[in-house]
Amino acid sequence: MTDVTLTVNGKERSASVPPETTLLEMLRSKLNLTGAKLGCDVGDCGACTVLVAGKSVNACLMLAVQANGRDVLTIEGLATAEAFHPLQKTFEELASLQCGFCGPGIILSAKTLLDENPDPTVQEIKDALAGNLCRCTGYTKILEGVVDAARIMNGKQDAA
Amino acid sequence: MIRKGRGIGCMWYPIGFTVMANPSAATVKVNEDGTATLLTGTVETGQGSLTVLGQIAAEELGIATDDVHVVSADTDTTPMDTGAIASRTTYVTGNAIQLAAEKAKNILFETAAPMLGVKPSQLEARDRKIQIKNFPQKSVSIGEVANRALSVTGEPPIGSASYNPPTVAMDPETGQGKPFSTYVYATQIAEVEVDDETGEVVVLRIAAAHDCGTAINPMLVEGQVQGGISMGIGFALQEEMLFNDQGQQINPNLTNYIMPTSLDMPEIDVDIVENYDPTGPFGAKGVGEPTSVPTAAAIMNAIYDAVGVRIHSLPATAEKVLMAIRENQANGQKQIEGGPAQLPAE
Amino acid sequence: MDDKVRVAEQQDLDTLESLREADADLRLPAVVEPVAYPLETLTPVARQQTPAVGQRAPRPDGRLHGLGQTKYIDDMTFPDMIHAKVLRAGIASARIISIDVSEAEAMPGVLATLVGKEIPVNSYGPSIQDQPLLADEFVRHAGDGVAAVAAVSEQIAKDALAKIKVEYEPIEPVFDPLEAIKEDSIKVHPTASNIYASKIVKKGDVEKAFAESAHIFEDQYRTQMVEHVPMEPHASIAMWDANERVSLWSSLGRITLGRADMARVLNMPVNRVRMIATIVGGNFGGKNELTTEPVLALLSKKTGRPVKGVYSREDEFISSTTRHPFIMDYKTGVSAEGKILARKVRLILDGGAYCSWSETTLGKACILSPGPYNIPNVHIEAYVTYTNKTMTGAMRGFGAPQVCFAYESQMDDIARKLGIDPLEIRMMNAFEEFADSPTGQVLESVVVKDSLKIAADRFGWKENG
Repeated sequence: MTDVTLTVNGKERSASVPPETTLLEMLRSKLNLTGAKLGCDVGDCGACTVLVAGKSVNACLMLAVQANGRDVLTIEGLATAEAFHPLQKTFEELASLQCGFCGPGIILSAKTLLDENPDPTVQEIKDALAGNLCRCTGYTKILEGVVDAARIMNGKQDAA
Repeated sequence: MIRKGRGIGCMWYPIGFTVMANPSAATVKVNEDGTATLLTGTVETGQGSLTVLGQIAAEELGIATDDVHVVSADTDTTPMDTGAIASRTTYVTGNAIQLAAEKAKNILFETAAPMLGVKPSQLEARDRKIQIKNFPQKSVSIGEVANRALSVTGEPPIGSASYNPPTVAMDPETGQGKPFSTYVYATQIAEVEVDDETGEVVVLRIAAAHDCGTAINPMLVEGQVQGGISMGIGFALQEEMLFNDQGQQINPNLTNYIMPTSLDMPEIDVDIVENYDPTGPFGAKGVGEPTSVPTAAAIMNAIYDAVGVRIHSLPATAEKVLMAIRENQANGQKQIEGGPAQLPAE
Repeated sequence: MDDKVRVAEQQDLDTLESLREADADLRLPAVVEPVAYPLETLTPVARQQTPAVGQRAPRPDGRLHGLGQTKYIDDMTFPDMIHAKVLRAGIASARIISIDVSEAEAMPGVLATLVGKEIPVNSYGPSIQDQPLLADEFVRHAGDGVAAVAAVSEQIAKDALAKIKVEYEPIEPVFDPLEAIKEDSIKVHPTASNIYASKIVKKGDVEKAFAESAHIFEDQYRTQMVEHVPMEPHASIAMWDANERVSLWSSLGRITLGRADMARVLNMPVNRVRMIATIVGGNFGGKNELTTEPVLALLSKKTGRPVKGVYSREDEFISSTTRHPFIMDYKTGVSAEGKILARKVRLILDGGAYCSWSETTLGKACILSPGPYNIPNVHIEAYVTYTNKTMTGAMRGFGAPQVCFAYESQMDDIARKLGIDPLEIRMMNAFEEFADSPTGQVLESVVVKDSLKIAADRFGWKENG
């Protein structure tokens, strides 16, 4: 067993796990953070996307020990008691998600993009989400949701 | 060289099962504050059907979408439903819900009539009130009526109903019959770019005009159309389960089974064709499956328009399109060398 | 009695603070931060307005999706829950001589195994009950399940599958549907023919109309096998209780009929089965019938524990239903002006190893195959055949995307040959209100021409011609 300590959504969390445990497994079964999903287990679908040190990663491909000592953000840590993240708000308003299984991963990939590039073009959004598969939506309303969220974050629209 | 082309795909599609019974039942309960609870045995599988079904119940009761709480998908508590299949939920389950809500509403009317001094047939439910038709000044809130029904008249405002689409069995010899209650219609037009040196096809734009009867929730209808188109693009250009000669699938993973990503999506213009089907709930039919039906056809016709090759087997992978282009060029070459071109066999 | 009481020296004791820290450390993994979300949330305006119909009302589940709060089956857990995995045959056609689970059962952490013979009624299917839950006599496609294991962890269950010994006697398989429909072909099931359903729709006299047609078009079109790929793989949890009642949380899209199927295969009354579906992570027709629910139920019965079973992505491909590959022959007679006079269609559907939703697919494809056009003479024959491949079933469109590809491809070839604009030829032939369908149904609320016109206007068909 290996002891792993992560800062998850701003709080330090430790668990003792077998060394082969993936970050996804640790989040889901040890920390009960089930927002990140297991869709393929080999990094094809992006449903397990979380942010490690601000970068989006496939949590199914990263070992928990590789994330030791680092900051991890999961979908559960995105909103605050005061406000939704603009992506959560626009995705709800536009019905960007349907079955929602890909949603946590897509929102976190989009957040990474908007953190690095606050005013992306549609092509840049498509590029950033290319690793997150969605079968329901045709991505169309997801792209619209990211565009609207960028607008809110840039102060071009009131964040209600 | 990149060549552009455009193509049409037009289709019709039925709602519900082919002749076979596919009923739905529903229960609508009006609460003492005028909100309502809807019990349905269908399952939310991502389409937003529970939202749409809630809207149907709300409409019949004259209340808002948010006033209806939907309880679904538990066989211990929710009534029978054939389920999320065959683009039937809005139409079949929706009809059952409208009928169930109507029954609950009629109990409210019976209760409210003496309160307002009129006959039940003179009443209507609108804007969270039971009011007199053509004299909305005289009204009483649904909550008040529901409360009275529960505590005074002793008939709870609860309605249950089921619906099964009417069909006529098909003749076994000729197939003549009425297999479905109703159908929807749609056209998609695709614009593509084909690289005639690689065979790669890029879908640039799709204009999609879909009939779903009344759009109970236009935003969710758009979502269905956009999602159906992405599945149609996969069917047209990318997706194929491949087997070896032992019958084992060789691409049972998302690395080698290619499906559309955000990068494969064209610009999509959705139009909802205005229509009203008197047999559906508030004129609605359905939209789930048909959105995926004409996409591949439109894309294949656009490929033909772009590079003059007819793809006879899906998917139109780059390799297949390129091979067809090369064959075409070789035939053209032969024709130039061998005199007048032969007309294709009819 | 020793009445000497030792009082601890101060230095023996940890400080209260350090004890609290140690306690907190111990508790860390178990104490989960709740999902943060605004405590005062607003209801979207469109959800509060009347009339409700026509509102662009956001979905309440949309908010939960965005917060990561939606609970799919695999996000649920119960005390003492164990995990099941199914062994797939890997061979496309064989007789099962023996299945030996003893080594798997002896593995530490394995609590139970199950084989097909232990299932009360080991067959199911929405129209023909030709599919075993776990193959017990014959394997008919490589993804057939042959045995299941329940263990304390998913990994142990997977490892245990490797310890199951199955002895097969290979049988020559048939994969090509055109081979399979031949009278002397190898039979996938003990039936006289591999064709397990057929349908005919005919109206008018196609041969006479062909003779009167100015042009005849004959083409063959084929489509491939496609998987639904819901992002959430199939998942269920079964919990058997001491009153012989079983509860199932399942990703099934049709729970009422799922319950009836459960009751049938477990040979128990319907009210002893409770099926609950949470939100399903994508369906598209692929989650419309049982998969492992009865197997999990019986493993739960054997172990007295809740049992979870989640498909891997590979399971999803090789052992769930798929879209039927079609072979479609179209012969169409057209007048000199471009009116379609007659259409003859033959559809061969590759049904894979089991019937599943093939009959529905066959029926819809057959009826829809002439397209949304007024054709006075039609003759359509459709057949679905067994092959030793993954079974095909319901998938978004039930055969309609396949036949639409065929009839619309041919429509454009007709237009080109006759020198008519593709939009025009469709407008010329399309159904109108009260059109007569291929099955003789009088159609109502028909808007084919409106949809053509609206799409063409939006696309700029005339401008960009």
